[in-house]
Amino acid sequence: MEVDMNSIDEIIEIYKRDVDITMIDEGLKRTVEERMRVLAEFEQFREELQKGMERARDAVR
Amino acid sequence: MTQFAEILRLLTKAGIEFIVVGGVAATAHGSPRATTDVDVLYARNRGNLDRLVAALAGLEPYLRGAPPGLPFKFDYETVKAGLNFTLITNLGALNLLGEIAGGGKYEDLLTQSDFSDLYGSLCRVLNLDMLIWTKRAAGRPKDFEAIAELELLRDRSPSPTPPASKS
Repeated sequence: MEVDMNSIDEIIEIYKRDVDITMIDEGLKRTVEERMRVLAEFEQFREELQKGMERARDAVR
Repeated sequence: MTQFAEILRLLTKAGIEFIVVGGVAATAHGSPRATTDVDVLYARNRGNLDRLVAALAGLEPYLRGAPPGLPFKFDYETVKAGLNFTLITNLGALNLLGEIAGGGKYEDLLTQSDFSDLYGSLCRVLNLDMLIWTKRAAGRPKDFEAIAELELLRDRSPSPTPPASKS
């Protein structure tokens, strides 16, 4: 689904109300190297979490 | 699991002309939003397509989400005939984009990108203004939250991050 460009501004402004500014500021404080490291660590965590969930499901079966 | 560093290292070492766009570019600019794939805008000249195909040959690239067993072969003819490829590889999820909405091709966006050191690889990264512009141009509701974050990020950014120099 595509949205009319003219209507996007208002929608984006509404979304901005719920953005956690502290997270934005944290990201800005980091160097590019730190930002990329955090991303890789999150991906690693996501993978481990997924594997853990699979193991738990297998154990229940 | 997507191995961001390895994918970018592979593309850079192979001499592929590409610009990092999407979530990884957003992260480089400071976005707290996590992504699980690498989006790159690649140049579609003959030499670059050859390098791309050769670089990915060992990674068993396959269409992400497609049923197994399709006669998909990632070779020059396939890349030439297609444009945007959503791939799964041995290094994780890689999206090869020949064009992006609102931005155009690799050559169109060269001046809208800066070099940045990503995991030790010097890569072109789409600048924040253009990243926002392309997401707005795509007009996808799923991007609205990300656009809101990126615009706040731009507004709160003390000054643009100086690009890494390519020596």
